[in-house]
Amino acid sequence: MMPNDFAYDRPATAAEAVRLFGSFDAKGKSPMYYSGGTEVITFGRLGLVRTGAVIDIKGIPECRALGYVQDDLVLGAGLSLTEVEEANPFPLLSKTSGGVADRTARNKITLGGNVCGRIFYREAVLPFLLADSDVVLAGASGWRRLPIRQVFRGEMQLGQGELLLGFLTSRSYLSLPHVHLKRRQQWKTGYPLVTAAALRKDDRLRVAFSGVCPFPFRSAEMEEALNARGVAPAARIDEAVRRVPALVLNDVEGSAEYRLFVLRNALADIVDAIGGE
Amino acid sequence: MEAIGQSVYRKEGWDKVTGKAIYTDDIHLPGMLHAALAISPHAHARIKSVDVREAEQMPGVRAVVTGRPEPLVGEEIRDRPPIAYGKVRYNGEPVAVVVADTPGEARAAADRIRLDFEPLPVVHSPSEAIRPDAPLIHERLDQYVIGVMTFPEPHTNIANRTRIRKGDAQKAFLSCPVVVENEVSFAPSSHAAMETRCSIAQQAADGTVTIYTSSQAPFMVKKLLSSAFGIEIGKIVVHTPLVGGAYGGKGSVQWEILAYLATQAVGGRPVKLYYTREQDILTAPGHVGLDAKVKLGCTTDGILLAAEMTYLFDSGAYADKSPDLNRAGAVDCTGPYRIDNVSCDSLGVYTNHPYPAPFRGFAHSEVMFAFERAMDRLAAELRMDPLELRRRNAIAPGHTTPTQVLLNRSNVGNLAACIAKLEHWMDWKEGRLIRLSDRQVRAKGVACVWKTSTIDSNASSGVILLFNPDGSLNLVSGVVELGTGTKTVLAQIVAQRLKMDVSRVHVRMEVDTATTPEHWKTVASRGTFMAGRAALAAADDAIRQIKEIAACVLRCSPDDLEVEGERVFLRDDPLTGLPFKDVVYGYTYPNGNAIGGQIIGRGHYILRGMTYLDPATGAGRPGPEWTVVAQGVEVVYDLRDHTYTIAKAVSVIDIGRVLNPKAAVGQVMGAMSMGLAFAGRETLVFDGQGVVLNPQLRTYRPIRYGEHPDYIVDFVETPQIDAPYGARGVGEHGLLGMPAALSNALTLAAGVNLNRLPLVPEFIWRTKRGAAE
Repeated sequence: MMPNDFAYDRPATAAEAVRLFGSFDAKGKSPMYYSGGTEVITFGRLGLVRTGAVIDIKGIPECRALGYVQDDLVLGAGLSLTEVEEANPFPLLSKTSGGVADRTARNKITLGGNVCGRIFYREAVLPFLLADSDVVLAGASGWRRLPIRQVFRGEMQLGQGELLLGFLTSRSYLSLPHVHLKRRQQWKTGYPLVTAAALRKDDRLRVAFSGVCPFPFRSAEMEEALNARGVAPAARIDEAVRRVPALVLNDVEGSAEYRLFVLRNALADIVDAIGGE
Repeated sequence: MEAIGQSVYRKEGWDKVTGKAIYTDDIHLPGMLHAALAISPHAHARIKSVDVREAEQMPGVRAVVTGRPEPLVGEEIRDRPPIAYGKVRYNGEPVAVVVADTPGEARAAADRIRLDFEPLPVVHSPSEAIRPDAPLIHERLDQYVIGVMTFPEPHTNIANRTRIRKGDAQKAFLSCPVVVENEVSFAPSSHAAMETRCSIAQQAADGTVTIYTSSQAPFMVKKLLSSAFGIEIGKIVVHTPLVGGAYGGKGSVQWEILAYLATQAVGGRPVKLYYTREQDILTAPGHVGLDAKVKLGCTTDGILLAAEMTYLFDSGAYADKSPDLNRAGAVDCTGPYRIDNVSCDSLGVYTNHPYPAPFRGFAHSEVMFAFERAMDRLAAELRMDPLELRRRNAIAPGHTTPTQVLLNRSNVGNLAACIAKLEHWMDWKEGRLIRLSDRQVRAKGVACVWKTSTIDSNASSGVILLFNPDGSLNLVSGVVELGTGTKTVLAQIVAQRLKMDVSRVHVRMEVDTATTPEHWKTVASRGTFMAGRAALAAADDAIRQIKEIAACVLRCSPDDLEVEGERVFLRDDPLTGLPFKDVVYGYTYPNGNAIGGQIIGRGHYILRGMTYLDPATGAGRPGPEWTVVAQGVEVVYDLRDHTYTIAKAVSVIDIGRVLNPKAAVGQVMGAMSMGLAFAGRETLVFDGQGVVLNPQLRTYRPIRYGEHPDYIVDFVETPQIDAPYGARGVGEHGLLGMPAALSNALTLAAGVNLNRLPLVPEFIWRTKRGAAE
């Protein structure tokens, strides 16, 4: 049950969406862009999200894009995770997003919603971080195309009223050797203790994580340690674990020290699978 | 025309699969208002103030109800103000109830109530609670009204103690060449039924109180409301439609009392109180926790000589059903074995946790986890096959139970036969620990369990059969249909006795305490036994009446008549007879004269020969029969990660007689999955202040599709002679041994004793690391 009434709008263009956002904002409505609505509903009923206006982005063609522009795969922010999984243009993304929630929820959860969401796992971002993807943002002053690693620092750094339209990923990354691992507290459901996505590009491992810290990240320092030449795999992994960029999560899913144990084993599996040598 | 032994579809099945079934929250009464709760954020705190002024001014608000010193409620000990007064004793305890025009308005106002608390020291476990210096959770335990068979110990946190003394355990241990001791513990958890608790209350101008509730105990709601609030019992009517899963959690009375207080505050207008999932986990009574110690002694051949147990049940903030729980655990404290010297102290202990409701198995999966872990340790000490140890000690007719009931061929099932079948299904000869690779092993664990149902000694059940003009009939029983299919089984029992088609037995699903004969509570796997006996009596009553009328018409003795296929006819001349439709609404002669009238069959059943337990020794007859079970679990375990999957789970139950095969298998399988979820993942997580950190299904996760093992369910049939067609209780038993069997399998796989639940990989990792250091 949503605790309050709210306005609903479904604009047909990004420009219209941005304009609506501005006008709702000016009226103090705390507007939100939404596509799947899972967080709006689940946090709304708890009073953790309060909005007077939701702007549905599923009517904006760019948000529904799924195809190629020149050498880039274009994925709209309003695609559901299961749409992306079924089309499967980027296998690592399919595997990573396929680990989120359950099928019924993924029919609603969208790429943009997962990456911009308040639930901090945001696992769908990991493949984009590894593939040096770009994002396209629409704002009051027009569109911007930016590298995702510049915009995503634990969470998306968007301007007020700025809308994520989608992701652009170079074809050259789509079918590289890769690994996705999701390790949970128990069995096959639940948030991750560690979600790891890894790509092998130009003979170097790239790795990105969710669940280790209260935000997803790709760490150059950890990659450097993992790719160190002439060092035994176990020592490389130990060094990478030492370089986790922030305090490790310690919560109901698992303690920090246990997460490090899980992380170490996950890295061993990644190195084993695509570490080379 | 056999109805027994057929997999008859559930009578309510079509409504359920099409979404048309009506549950309490689907009921909307004219002029109905809505209630919302303000709950305690603290586990233990003095209430300094509850400021409702702002809440009362919020739109749509009709009333705000806060705690009062009287009356106190509670089933075995009246220790609970329905709305907290003076202090709060658990996180989630109701502190105020807001009544408003809409649920949203009620919620918004409840959030504006300003609560001021002074935190008190928190008691985190029953072991902590019995320390001499533990903070007292109930300072006035000596002044509460208590039930028979409840023995609180004032000025401590002990709400009840049950003592079992059989033989002389202390002396027997002196002659035991082999002795082991083992301790286990686990925290409270939740039932997590699909339907959260919900109740509607209203009061008519003549004082009649009407309650709609999602409950297993509508008749208990009536009794408790009457005794707590002095309402004439005949002026309380409780309706229970279908219940969306209960598992014992709706056997307690709580949300109805709050709805009643809410309607009182608004002049009797109907008020609905619907628990959110968070409140269903926090506020409503949950699944009990336990700290336990088991000591076993045996001969070098593994023959058990003595057992000594301490069971500390986590009674949480209030006693309610916990004295019954700790007593039920005491009654079957040893597991299904012959042991001549038994000493057990089973306690219900107050803590600052949510208080317990019954939970499927009623203290048995908990106690069996403790006992069957100790049995595996004993087997290890003896270097004996754990199944062989159990076989050597298996309970059998001629043995006595811990409360000294002499067992015979009817009141206990055949455990040895269950063990033999389990051995087959587990492929026991293959070995218990099989290396699959350098990383993986496959390991097997077993447990044997039993259960009797320790319900009130005078609990009764009634059934009414009302015939329709076409010869079909309506079955009315106080059993609540909560997903077990019991009412369909009752229809099968009646159809079998009347030798008619089960499709012609219509079942009334809703219970309405004004017109439905009482069934004590729909708990304890007693629906089929007690209501089944009542249904047989009602069928016999109807047959007698049908024969009486037919005897007049056919000018014969009722003894010459037989009933079958909705006809009553001469035994030696079946063509001479009458169809039911000409008899069951009275018989009309060709000239218009009529005799008889609508046939109303009635029957009831009360448990026979149950006794209170002797307070000093526990001796007494607590239940009518013992269902015995042998169970096993097979895991595939990763030696590096300490993760595992459950490959297979097996239950072999002596069910007496299978009445409805698919329904029976479904019950057992459902119970097994619940046991594995409780053992493998489900627990409330408390922080250092006793606050629950996971009151949501995001973080409190029952077992899901894709996580289930292969389930194997098999039965042994040793009839219980006085039960309907010999059937024994089976609603709970699939659950009982799962925690023990899983932990026994994982203990073997991991090579360390795993004595806590849930058995998550982190716990195994921690235990391995602790053992290594």
